[in-house]
Amino acid sequence: MTASVEEIRAEVKKLLDEGAVKYVIGYRNGSAGPFAAPAFFTGAGEADELVWDPTCFHNLARFLADERREDVCAPEAEEDGKKPVGVVVKGCDSRAVAVLLQEKFVDRDAVYLIGVSCEDGGVIDEGKLARKLGTAKVEKIEFGVDGGFVVTTDEGPIKIESADILDDRCVECRAAYPVVHDVVIGEQVDRKPEEPYGSLDEIESLAPEERWEFWERELGKCIRCYACRSICPMCYCDECVADTIAFAVTADTTADEKAQKIKWVERSPDNSENFFYHLVRAMHLAGRCIDCNECERACPVDIPLRLLNKKLEKEAKELFDYDVGFDPDVPSLISSFRDEDPEDFIR
Amino acid sequence: MNDRFEPKIVAFLCKWCSSAGSDLAGVSRMQYPANVVPITVMCSGGVSPLYIFSAFKRGADGVLVSGCHPGDCHYIKGNLYARRRLALVKELLEHVGLEPERFQMSWVSAAEGAKYTELIKDFVDTLRPLGPQAKLRRRV
Amino acid sequence: MKKTGVFVCHCGINIAGTVDVKKLTEELAKYPGVEFSEDYVYMCSDPGQNMIIDAIKENDLDNVVVACCSPTLHESTFRNACEAAGLNPFLCEIANVREQCSWVHRDMDEATEKAIKITRSITEKVQLNEALEPISVPVTQRALVVGGGVAGIQAALDLANSGYETILVERSPSIGGHMSQLSETFPTLDCSQCILTPKMVEVSKHPNVKLMTYSEVQEVTGFVGNFRVKILKKPTYVDPGACTLCDECTKVCPVVLPNEFDMGLTGRRAIYIPFPQAVPATFTLDDKGCPGLLPIACGKCADVCEPGAIDYDMKPEIIEEEVGAIVVATGYDLYDKEKMAEYGYGKYPDVLDGLQFERLLSASGPTGGKVLRPSDHEEPKEVVFIQCAGSRDPELHCAYCSKICCMYTAKHAMLYKHHVHDGQAYIFYIDIRSGGKDYEEFVQRTVEEDNVLYLRGKVSKIFEEGGKLKVWGVDTLTGKDIEIDADMVVLAMAMRPSAGAAEFAKKLKIGLDKDGFLAEAHPKLRPVESVTSGVFLAGAAQAPKDIPEAVAQASGAAAKAINILSRDQLFHAPMVARVNENLCTGCEMCVMVCPYDAIKLEEDVATVNEVLCEGCGTCMATCLRAAIEVKNLRTQHVYDMIGACLVEI
Repeated sequence: MTASVEEIRAEVKKLLDEGAVKYVIGYRNGSAGPFAAPAFFTGAGEADELVWDPTCFHNLARFLADERREDVCAPEAEEDGKKPVGVVVKGCDSRAVAVLLQEKFVDRDAVYLIGVSCEDGGVIDEGKLARKLGTAKVEKIEFGVDGGFVVTTDEGPIKIESADILDDRCVECRAAYPVVHDVVIGEQVDRKPEEPYGSLDEIESLAPEERWEFWERELGKCIRCYACRSICPMCYCDECVADTIAFAVTADTTADEKAQKIKWVERSPDNSENFFYHLVRAMHLAGRCIDCNECERACPVDIPLRLLNKKLEKEAKELFDYDVGFDPDVPSLISSFRDEDPEDFIR
Repeated sequence: MNDRFEPKIVAFLCKWCSSAGSDLAGVSRMQYPANVVPITVMCSGGVSPLYIFSAFKRGADGVLVSGCHPGDCHYIKGNLYARRRLALVKELLEHVGLEPERFQMSWVSAAEGAKYTELIKDFVDTLRPLGPQAKLRRRV
Repeated sequence: MKKTGVFVCHCGINIAGTVDVKKLTEELAKYPGVEFSEDYVYMCSDPGQNMIIDAIKENDLDNVVVACCSPTLHESTFRNACEAAGLNPFLCEIANVREQCSWVHRDMDEATEKAIKITRSITEKVQLNEALEPISVPVTQRALVVGGGVAGIQAALDLANSGYETILVERSPSIGGHMSQLSETFPTLDCSQCILTPKMVEVSKHPNVKLMTYSEVQEVTGFVGNFRVKILKKPTYVDPGACTLCDECTKVCPVVLPNEFDMGLTGRRAIYIPFPQAVPATFTLDDKGCPGLLPIACGKCADVCEPGAIDYDMKPEIIEEEVGAIVVATGYDLYDKEKMAEYGYGKYPDVLDGLQFERLLSASGPTGGKVLRPSDHEEPKEVVFIQCAGSRDPELHCAYCSKICCMYTAKHAMLYKHHVHDGQAYIFYIDIRSGGKDYEEFVQRTVEEDNVLYLRGKVSKIFEEGGKLKVWGVDTLTGKDIEIDADMVVLAMAMRPSAGAAEFAKKLKIGLDKDGFLAEAHPKLRPVESVTSGVFLAGAAQAPKDIPEAVAQASGAAAKAINILSRDQLFHAPMVARVNENLCTGCEMCVMVCPYDAIKLEEDVATVNEVLCEGCGTCMATCLRAAIEVKNLRTQHVYDMIGACLVEI
């Protein structure tokens, strides 16, 4: 079973009808291909265009960062402008919102969270789907009745087992039911993956030199387009250490400051610069990345970025018993410690 | 000078314990290899992962971060934040295949000149057989 | 680019012996931004300092690097010299090429190369330094003394006599501490109470002293010159103003508890006065044992109290005080009983610790000054004293020497002989440590005039047999096994920091040493200061010490406190955190990690209280937005320093 799109539409329609929200961020059909795309619903009449299917990959929490920026730009907004923004959130997306709440980047009363339970489902992996179906042209992908998927191609509908095309992050998901929400559509589930960090097994089993070769090959592909950064709901800094272009220049910025702006990393996509960028990004996301895996999906050269972020999520759990994005009220991973934190690596 | 490889090491020492411990090694005329250039910071808690990555990128063969023992931090608990943050740095560096020996963290108190001396000797001995650190170094 | 002057010190041959100072000077002269580079044999000498002053003036230098010894030694010397030349002192930095370079290496090429890198790195740093002004902070001209033993009393008196209002907090019902329990004091044998009680009375009657007994410091916030303290005043259930000390209440009180003042050798009632000369002179109702606080229970003491001084409804109070300096004199406890099981301590009633023996010797003690065995009230004829019970035993007990036991054991043995002329005293010892004025002579008197038998060696076992305490030991001087049938054994137990000292140290943000005593800021040069500015140490809380030492340290701590209190303003180092408001998103991570609560959110942006900030930089490493940085050690400074460390020479 899975949450019904009708129920989601009804909720969105109600919110917009009542004027309870400024607008709703959800999904509608994409302009090309069978995949859903993020959409902003401002009128109740548009609600019927909302979709809910296994291609709703996008982490819509991403758009809250932009919302907050506008907020800062127009602090004296009209009454209407102060209404919360409705957002459709899967379990993973709700964890991202939890982190944004934890970092006080988003106020709880600035969002109305329309949670959707993934129950026993999740989103598909485009790559797995392509490998499964080969050249067949996919028209539609829907949730099956028994946890699998129904994919309609130009040759008609096919049933596909969940295991075949479910995204890895959904296989390892620990929050199929939203952790923060104002309303939830779908059944309450408590899904516990057998191996929450199973996708790391392979790389962790490699010898250090093999690991190095793996990352040298993968990160060597990076063209530094920063798609991973642009799509990440946690990458909301105005200024990024990774490039000097995003340096926030204000009226107070002196010429000295501009000249002195540290070049931590060169813009050229050399391997050493790519490593630096991705290491810094991984550290920056430690204790913040909730494994929506949008970075990897957005990456045009297919770098397995999830293996970097997932590694630190795993270490946060195993070394410090820290769960990312489950409780907005606890101190963040790096702004806290326990007396018993391991120090066997320290001499 | 002979031909053996001399690793270049940057050491971030907290002012109150580790730098003072290193001073004590000097006062006691202990001897250790000259491969380490110390940078005194106020507290190990102030050592950003950026410093470590940047040192490797700019050619360090090894990086050491040293602070006060838990409970002895001049700033009460800065070293405990460092312990957590740098544990993640260490895991990450190993995850991408850097030799684990190249990043070292230690607790050296103001009284532990001898420990600092041993630490540096051992660090240099460990790094020598590894040769130059080429993985994260900027290639120009 | 700013113009830097580099000054290389030879320190005689201390630096020049291993570092090629000429090459160092030349290399630095070539470094970008260096306008002037010179070396001199002793930079810290007057001619050396003048060289810096002249060079600043003549070359219009913007900043200065001195390559010399550790900044802990001469940083202020050179910063003052810069100031004399009109340069802001924070534009002067020290490159440590002695302790961290010339003294730890032998090969001149290697040491020189390293010294060049160190000096270049500091040059990069100083190029980015800003001129800073010390932050001035007003001073609350009052003091807090924690602990009402002889050290605390002395410190409070010194502060009060200098004109400063002083709060003296003691957690037990009376001040006096362990000294009030002692019989006579070495080496003069004057009666402890006789010399202490005048001070107790003086401090309690002093117009500048606010005495708070039966009170505990709960919370300390703030910083030097401006501490805010919360003190818990525990209820005594007795109004000291009304109590006439008639003692009727103790006659009816049905509850008997061990008497702490007599070290458990006697009992006391739940309502009690700790000892006759207690200050303040009043009764205290110990609510741990008393059933009367329950409505239907006892209530007998209130029934017999004619002036109606007993009030079961008295509540604990939290009193807030503001002070500028704190003296910690929390004293000592004896080593845990349970840990000395091998000597039968806690098992046999006639195995006593030193303080219990003091009570037996004391005229006001449980036996009225007669030395009698607790078990049968017989006069002991053979008494064995064992030194280092728990001290100097790194394997099993405390590694350190408790320092006062040699002297008080000699005193115990001597006083025992004064009481029991036909008795024999034996002392097992490892060494006799009798350093101190007239101390050695005192020990000699014990041996020669009172015929006390000193046995060099350890006791292996004590057990009861035939009404005697069998003491097995060895005399390492003769190599013979010793067996003594003793009537009483007195253990010179190790001194430990008093219970709760560790938690209290945490509240004050001061450190502990490896043995749990409060840590001084420097073992030689700052022995009465803690690492936290404005908090000073006195007495046995810092290390085992005897009365004259505790009193001397207390006066020292008071003088240090007065040093702060006598000023209207203090100056705080200006290397504090600064927020870039444009980058701060208000995530509060810096607020959470700051050890000093120096950062608060104001209008969604982090704001630093510069007076509280100590500049540790933990906020800087935590901030995800690079929105907070410590002045003169910003990320940029470190970035440039790393570069200079790694560039080939």
